[in-house]
Amino acid sequence: MASLADLFSSGTLSQFLVGLSRTTILFIVSSGLTLILGVLRIPNLAHGSLYMIGAFLAYSVIHFLGDGTAAFWAALVIAPLVVAALGFLLERGFFSYLYEREHLMLLLLTFSFTLIIGDLVKLVWGAEYRSVTVPRVFQGSAEVFGLPLPYYNLFLLLIGPFIAVFLWLVVNKTKMGKIARAAAVDSEMVSAVGINVGWVFAFTFVLGCFLAGLGGALIAPMVNITLGMDHSLIMEAFLIVIMGGLGNIWGALLGSLIFGLTQSLGILVWPQFGIVFPYLAVVAVLVVRPKGLLRSTW
Amino acid sequence: MKNRHAALFLLLVLLAALPQFLPRFYTYIAAIVLLTGLLATSLNLAIGYGGIYQFHHAVFYGIGAYGTALMLTRGTMPAVFGFLAGPLASAALSLVMGLVCIRLSKLYFGMLQISLGSLVWATVYRWYSFTGGDDGIHGVPLPDAIASPQGSYYFTLAVAALSVFALYRIVRSPFGMTLQGIRDNPVRSEAIGVNVRLHQLAALVVAGFFGGVAGMLFVVVDTSVFPDMMFWTFSLEVLVMCLLGGMYTFFGPFAGAAAIVLLRVFASVYTPYWSLLLGVLLTLVIIFLPDGVAGYLVRRLRGREGVRA
Amino acid sequence: MKTRSLALAGFVLVVFLAASAQAADTIKVGLVDTYTGPATAFTNDVLDGFKLAVEKINAKGGVLGRKIAYITRDDKFKPDIGLTMAKELILKENVDLLMGTINSATALAVSDLCRKEKVPFLVTFSKSDKITGEKGHRYVFSMNENTEMAGRATARVLAKKPFVKYWIAGDDYEYGHAIANGVFDHLKKLNPKAQLLGQSWWKVGETDFTPYITQILAAKPDFVIVATGGAGMVNFQKAAQSTGFNKRVPFYQHTGIELSTLAPQGQNAPEGVYGTANYLFYYPNTKQNQAFADEFRKAYNRYPKSGALYGYMAAQFIAKSYEKAGKVDKEKFIDALEGMSLDSPVGRMEMRACDHQVALPMFFGVTKKSPKQEFLVASDILSIPGKDYMPTCEEIRKARAK
Repeated sequence: MASLADLFSSGTLSQFLVGLSRTTILFIVSSGLTLILGVLRIPNLAHGSLYMIGAFLAYSVIHFLGDGTAAFWAALVIAPLVVAALGFLLERGFFSYLYEREHLMLLLLTFSFTLIIGDLVKLVWGAEYRSVTVPRVFQGSAEVFGLPLPYYNLFLLLIGPFIAVFLWLVVNKTKMGKIARAAAVDSEMVSAVGINVGWVFAFTFVLGCFLAGLGGALIAPMVNITLGMDHSLIMEAFLIVIMGGLGNIWGALLGSLIFGLTQSLGILVWPQFGIVFPYLAVVAVLVVRPKGLLRSTW
Repeated sequence: MKNRHAALFLLLVLLAALPQFLPRFYTYIAAIVLLTGLLATSLNLAIGYGGIYQFHHAVFYGIGAYGTALMLTRGTMPAVFGFLAGPLASAALSLVMGLVCIRLSKLYFGMLQISLGSLVWATVYRWYSFTGGDDGIHGVPLPDAIASPQGSYYFTLAVAALSVFALYRIVRSPFGMTLQGIRDNPVRSEAIGVNVRLHQLAALVVAGFFGGVAGMLFVVVDTSVFPDMMFWTFSLEVLVMCLLGGMYTFFGPFAGAAAIVLLRVFASVYTPYWSLLLGVLLTLVIIFLPDGVAGYLVRRLRGREGVRA
Repeated sequence: MKTRSLALAGFVLVVFLAASAQAADTIKVGLVDTYTGPATAFTNDVLDGFKLAVEKINAKGGVLGRKIAYITRDDKFKPDIGLTMAKELILKENVDLLMGTINSATALAVSDLCRKEKVPFLVTFSKSDKITGEKGHRYVFSMNENTEMAGRATARVLAKKPFVKYWIAGDDYEYGHAIANGVFDHLKKLNPKAQLLGQSWWKVGETDFTPYITQILAAKPDFVIVATGGAGMVNFQKAAQSTGFNKRVPFYQHTGIELSTLAPQGQNAPEGVYGTANYLFYYPNTKQNQAFADEFRKAYNRYPKSGALYGYMAAQFIAKSYEKAGKVDKEKFIDALEGMSLDSPVGRMEMRACDHQVALPMFFGVTKKSPKQEFLVASDILSIPGKDYMPTCEEIRKARAK
């Protein structure tokens, strides 16, 4: 155990910043998940699989365009769009017929999608590890209190708030977003006033999938892209969403912050057991506030 | 009703005769089917009859297995205590986790259970000196009477049959009826003076106990335990078994478990893409037979009312 | 994409045919291994190396007039499935021996099964030292190095370096801890001045290492032992590269110089990383090694990694043992394999009789850019002979007596 004085040493702030950048990916993925949960009421386990596809697609795009910085930007746009298109097909092809089903059924349906997608990814990209290098502009790292903070992490730090604001604008300032919010509360009422709820649902689902794909594309340069990368992430995303309150985007942000920060600051407190802190945080939150921190749309 | 009892009795006789004419490998698979069937049936008490989102049932399976394996490898007491220790540990854990989770509803309940279960899993996974860590425990010594392949099969058959029978009686008891009443209308049950939480908690403990029995049987059949047994993905697989067979029938989950175990063993012999196969099959069942295969058959046989019986 | 799926379909067909076309006069080898998920990056090499050797052996007429046939089963990296598949191969397919698997829990479970069923089991790739150590027995053999051996080999090299303050870090599972402790415990014996400053462990599959890296740098160690496995190898090196970790403090990873770690990163892998490996296709620069690398590359259009060596040599050991035994008999096979030594692409390899652990050289090197390759290679390579870094037979006896 570190002493209290150590906790306020120079490492703490840099650890804090690092925790924040880790939060970004968690937030992007879990905000998509919470949108789909809140509006469509689908506990989408396949969200992690879409994130994995996003990462593999980013690899393919960057590889195809020749590994430059431009290729990276292209991948950030193309990969999420393709994933969104895939989401559109899933929504129109399957979910649109199944909204009345029990959540448990939908959960298991999405579980079977994860099985299918896992094998399809293996068929398309094979089992070898894939890797994308950090784009040239973001290579290297900045000094924060004498400790390195990679430029790519800084970039993620900037992207996070940008996405949060973007989502806030979409949900609160666009007509589609307003309808979606209304539909989340009472979809029958919305269709009663003559609005086609089906398309609102499709839009929300596609937006959620876009975010999953974006998360995958953003994580690609930091990790080894492999089958199975969907597994740990989807569980974390679900816990974040539950912690924040189902369907609440700000809840997803808060949950991601708690998850990311308890993990990176937990390391300072108790290095060997840093891993358990996020789970303890979830347990603590749910014991105190059984419906999550912020207001749920359920 | 009489016909049904006769059919069940015949099935038991058939199962008892199995090792006499089946090759050893199939006897082993039959034992795995039996214990996995018990696991799915025990989960169904919570999720099908209780309507409780028991998302991490595998934890109780795993603790049952670990409790037994640890008692048999490290304990000095007679083996019988080992066989009891595992399921009792599962029941105790189920009670503790239930007390924490029970206030929450549906998805929140399920996710909190996954969180707590993951902590249990992580402890088993890393407490190397006690649980063997991710390597697990292998070569668990068994009493001579059940160490042979036939012996372990008969032990599994006897214990699984008794457990399934016990679960059947529980489902049909006044307690089981109340539980189903709570599932269908918790508000009304509360209003007529039923202690909803107490009933749900009791269902969780019973489900946990029999999940632990299934875990104990796994030790008898495979003489090994590993933390993978209690990873959350396996919990989902058990859920899938219940769903595939039919959650609102008593024997559906058992049939679902049998189907998945057999598919896993025999399909993977022919293709490395059996997940794909399972995924497609599941998708079709969920879309076209939401009550599961057994549920569908029951409905066809007796009309709509029979399904929820 | 199309060619890949065609190739896969072809592969499935071949496996299927291989499984169904068994005449009575074949030697049947059963392979239980992980053929789905990330571990396939390693296991496919074992299988391909094995196939390469078997095809050659069969083309020359096989062994004792019999062809070697093999059947593969996927354990999906899950011990319970692995155990079921192993039982299927033993009880239903009546294989003469088993090979596999990368998952240590599965390997240990199958090893216990093989002890009871009296079927020889050649472990390929699982690195648990328990397999031939405390849990070893007559029917199990290891075709590769293990955590204990990697620890000893590395400690020998590090003991001669001037580092004093060490930090250990790694994937929080048995393999990670075993490697890290293996290195540090032996280092402490060889260099009593070595001290442990601290340690950090992260969950398997961790994607963001930056918090751990900042924590380690803040403590200012002289040297860091990083015990990652699987996908963690590349993930950590990527993080090291983007934070400049490797430039601030030297670190070591077992298999850190291996192709499986360096090839995916291309020219962007960190330089100056210390690592060990059992196989490098470019070292030793001998005729045998070149011939093997060329042959493998011709057959599969990629360079062989250490798994290829294990699979290739397993087939050779199997063929030679049956030849020596004079008949296809499980007990005779074991007697013949004990103490056998064969030429391999990396030099002589011996199956030690006392513990059934193969002795093979370990290469210690430092990552460096190469003008000839699209990826980094190992430089300043030291070759440590097998017998120098294996536990003694006496130590094995003690471990097994426990």
